[in-house]
Amino acid sequence: MIPTASMADIAFLLIIFFMVTTVHELDRTSVNLPLAKSREEAEKGSAIVVLNMVSDGQYQYKFSDGANQSHLIPGPDDLYLEASRLTAVRPNQQFIIKADGDVRFEKIDELLDNLRKADVQKVLLLSQQATEGGGGT
Amino acid sequence: MKMKRKDVPAEIPTSSMADIAFLLIIFFMVTAVFSATKGLEFKLPSNEEDNRQAEQEEAVFIKVAADGSILVDCKPMEIADVLDYLAPKLQRDAQKPVILYTDPFAPYQAMISVYDVLIVPERTDRQLAGDGLPPQFGWKVANISVPTQTEIQDYIGIFGYNPFEAQCEG
Repeated sequence: MIPTASMADIAFLLIIFFMVTTVHELDRTSVNLPLAKSREEAEKGSAIVVLNMVSDGQYQYKFSDGANQSHLIPGPDDLYLEASRLTAVRPNQQFIIKADGDVRFEKIDELLDNLRKADVQKVLLLSQQATEGGGGT
Repeated sequence: MKMKRKDVPAEIPTSSMADIAFLLIIFFMVTAVFSATKGLEFKLPSNEEDNRQAEQEEAVFIKVAADGSILVDCKPMEIADVLDYLAPKLQRDAQKPVILYTDPFAPYQAMISVYDVLIVPERTDRQLAGDGLPPQFGWKVANISVPTQTEIQDYIGIFGYNPFEAQCEG
């Protein structure tokens, strides 16, 4: 017979591990992030702007205010309204841009322009770690 | 008639505890996500007219072309050589602006790759200082300007053409 007396202990240990390490992610969109080496940690409570290429020429925009789950927004112009509302209350709010590395820069430029119009000054361009060989982790 | 008293075991039944525990483990394993909240810090200029102080004549001009190749002061250059080119200029003038102009059709990754290189000296020296070590570079790109379409349209309004596109022509 396999001794199972310690099974519950092990199981509860694993539960505690997962409870402690689980992060409540505000956006779960799968995005092929650009690669970069010099990365900084985002500030807690940062707003998130998601730009995802769903098919050739079709883009999906999402926004999270840093407290609530991300939701779809029609386009970059709506980002201005969402960001303005946030910066009116919190002028130093950081905005994370989570965008596909393959999108044309003009799409990022639209986001930056709208954030700038909304008086946003702190932006974090979300990236994944580039390795020395040039690949991502 | 004498009633037979039923013995109740004085123990909490724990036989299902492992099942509950494993159920919870599976729940947390399925819902757990590894947090990916790292990226490149980027400062947007404030939305004021007099903030466009990066004069092209004094600045280092880096253009990311649509195919992802780069021109530095209108000379084709590999990304790996950019810091060597910038070093003497920024050692002479620590506030020298660097204009990073990206073609609208260039991939976002190409812009990120160049921006990533531009912040290497500052980040490396900051890390070394944190470890109590002397700086490796001793200079940083303090003034990076990434013109957005609104700014470019303003320049077009002033000059009648896109000065960033015309910079390396003729």
